[in-house]
Amino acid sequence: MSHFKSRRKGRVYVEIPPYAAGLIANLVRQLVELLSDGEARGVSSADPLEAMLELDGPRETPEDPALRRLFPEAHRDDPEAAAEFRRFTERSLREGKVADARVVLDSIGDIEDVGDGPDLEFELDRDQARAWMRCLTDLRLTLAERLGVTTDDEEFWASLPEDDERVPVHEIYGWLGYLLESLVDAADH
Amino acid sequence: MRGMTATPESTTVERPDTDQAVLPEVPWLTLVWDDPVNLMSYVTFVFTDYFHYPRSKAQRLMMQVHTEGKAVVSSGSREEMERDVQAMHGYGLWATMQKADA
Repeated sequence: MSHFKSRRKGRVYVEIPPYAAGLIANLVRQLVELLSDGEARGVSSADPLEAMLELDGPRETPEDPALRRLFPEAHRDDPEAAAEFRRFTERSLREGKVADARVVLDSIGDIEDVGDGPDLEFELDRDQARAWMRCLTDLRLTLAERLGVTTDDEEFWASLPEDDERVPVHEIYGWLGYLLESLVDAADH
Repeated sequence: MRGMTATPESTTVERPDTDQAVLPEVPWLTLVWDDPVNLMSYVTFVFTDYFHYPRSKAQRLMMQVHTEGKAVVSSGSREEMERDVQAMHGYGLWATMQKADA
């Protein structure tokens, strides 16, 4: 069953069971936490005007591999240019990702304590659908980094014993991929 | 090729930009790299959504990323490519920029 259906003008109708919405909200909150941790990295420059205008961001590559994947180096062979790019873009990229996460959390609503209630139903407009896509992607990138997902590794994941703690996480990762695929399909019409 | 943005044609005479006239600008490229995570359908969607490429071109670029490991998705001035790379990172795609002759 697909959770997303096309509506007119790029709008997308969403219907998800409460446990699924709760899982998404939980993951998204963790993502916001990760992004906020990343923010704690010091800004480098001493330019008071830039600091005041909040134009300045960190130059250093994040230590956390998930943050490194969310904010990759823009110049492969030029560390200085990559640092400058990061300094001027990472802050607004991070703000954009947090804003996308807020859109997802807002559309789900406060479902901290859902049990077996009825499915959640709501509509996303064009921009909200894109925020959902980007956020689902950020979740997948983060989980993949934690799991060590590589190309064509399905056999490896299938071979793990059921009690391996990575198995449920990988299942969630796959499920998020299914959600994204279905959302892209619905938004693309 | 970025130029789908509707900048109205100006009829006023432009001041000649001597710097540009003398030094041909070295174009920059935005590259998107293959990763084990991003879905083919999503990558195609991003190329149509952000660059406004027709679906056939978006699909061709996506397949090039997938099979060859990378593809040049746009070219232009350094500032334009910075904008494109930042946008790709916003979508979660792994993008870098480099000089066209590098």
